[in-house]
Amino acid sequence: MSPLKMLVDFLDVRLGVRDIFAKEVSGYLLPRRVNAWYTLGAVLLTLFGLQIFTGILLLVYYVPHADLAFASVQAIVNDVPFGWLIRMLHAVGANVIVIALLLHMLSVLFMAAYKGRREFTWLSGFVLFNLTMGLCLTGYLLPWSQLSFWATTVATDTPGAIPVVGDFLVEFLRGGATVGNQTLGRFFALHVVGMPLILLGLIGFHLFCVKRRGISTPPFGEDYLADELLPFFEHEEHPAGIPFFPNYVVKDAAVICFFLAFLLAIIFYLPGLFFPPSAFEPADPFVTPPGIKPEWYFLWAYQTLKIFPSEIIGLGVQGAFMTFLALLPFIDRGRERRPAKRPVFVTCYVLGILLFVAISIWGHYS
Amino acid sequence: MEPNLVSPSQRRNFLMIMLGGVGSLLAVAAGWPLVRFLMPSDTGDAASQVAIDRTLVTPGTAHLFQFQGRPAVVLQTAPGEFVALSAVCTHLGCIVQWQEEESQFLCPCHAGRFSTDGSVISGPPPKPLEILPVTLDGDQVLVG
Repeated sequence: MSPLKMLVDFLDVRLGVRDIFAKEVSGYLLPRRVNAWYTLGAVLLTLFGLQIFTGILLLVYYVPHADLAFASVQAIVNDVPFGWLIRMLHAVGANVIVIALLLHMLSVLFMAAYKGRREFTWLSGFVLFNLTMGLCLTGYLLPWSQLSFWATTVATDTPGAIPVVGDFLVEFLRGGATVGNQTLGRFFALHVVGMPLILLGLIGFHLFCVKRRGISTPPFGEDYLADELLPFFEHEEHPAGIPFFPNYVVKDAAVICFFLAFLLAIIFYLPGLFFPPSAFEPADPFVTPPGIKPEWYFLWAYQTLKIFPSEIIGLGVQGAFMTFLALLPFIDRGRERRPAKRPVFVTCYVLGILLFVAISIWGHYS
Repeated sequence: MEPNLVSPSQRRNFLMIMLGGVGSLLAVAAGWPLVRFLMPSDTGDAASQVAIDRTLVTPGTAHLFQFQGRPAVVLQTAPGEFVALSAVCTHLGCIVQWQEEESQFLCPCHAGRFSTDGSVISGPPPKPLEILPVTLDGDQVLVG
């Protein structure tokens, strides 16, 4: 008898693992037409796992103090063996996560997978997206470079436009009148403990929603039928579907490998892509470098604030757009999910993407 | 047409072995940077010889210092006679303290006692403190 079979037998008589595997893995059926876009959830889980792993490793050498943070990051990159790789995996990985998150949300929108009583799945995903942005923002300050310092100064200054409580919010975010050691302390605590704990809880809830309600059928093909919404809870079954293991897992693994290859390709061939020169200078609170810009995924918000005559209008527009996006499943109540039958939505969708790209490019060159 | 000489189970076994082999190679490729990243680095405190100002070690007193990354102690047992020892107790690794009135070292963890030459006087330590070579060079006491 092989050691693996002995181990499985040992676990099976105690925990019934074969039964779980048969029901939840090899016997769990997914829609037959499930496509590569459905694998982005697994890609994101892998990338988040990589962030946690590399983040823990960076904590071994990182010092969260304004006087030592920059030097500690430089030491990680220049002195610690393979420190450059761990740091790059973490920093570039954050950008790849944002790309995967955007693609995941765009595919859900395009296929209207938020429909069919999946409001909680969408909402938890939307909060996860915003939490990831928060993680990116708080992590950006930690290297304590000129780029970190001034990008955080600009970002934390934004709530100052809110009437009455604006100044208080800015000071509360920074832990003082300006960005300093106290800001680094609270951003470090949020980035390393606070936000990851909430993130893990929310990921669990998101997966629970996906599993409990059932995977949505891709709205393509002649045999597609719109979801029938019954007045009670129903798990969406796919009796003629493909098994989660091995069919879907292989597809997941292939796309995960693609994203990991993409991440490594940036690290090895375009290492400076996300690191402008100001990322290599220690923070100087008395010298603002010219042309400080936020990360590419915040450029749209940055430019929006500049377009409108007052910051408060810009913030209001952003808030309204994000609220609309969060509440979309409650607003878009029609049963139709096929993109070809939703011309107005698809037009807005394409124009929205173009607008996002155009404003971001404008923000980059402005 | 020739009959298929490879059974499905043989093919499966072959693929499993190949998958295991490639997986092992990838695990080693990913594990090597991890091990190197966590490997203790040379902090520069592993110098083979440490110089201590002679004025820091007056007769009857002891001076603690770092020697090759570990605590060590030097004392002047008689005018012009210096002894250097490892300050790490041989019982469970606590740092011994100099008891000037009794002219001996006491380990505060489990009351192990050592004489000025490092030998065990009493308590649980299984062996003496390690003796370090000492030489004099003008106003400097050289250990190591």
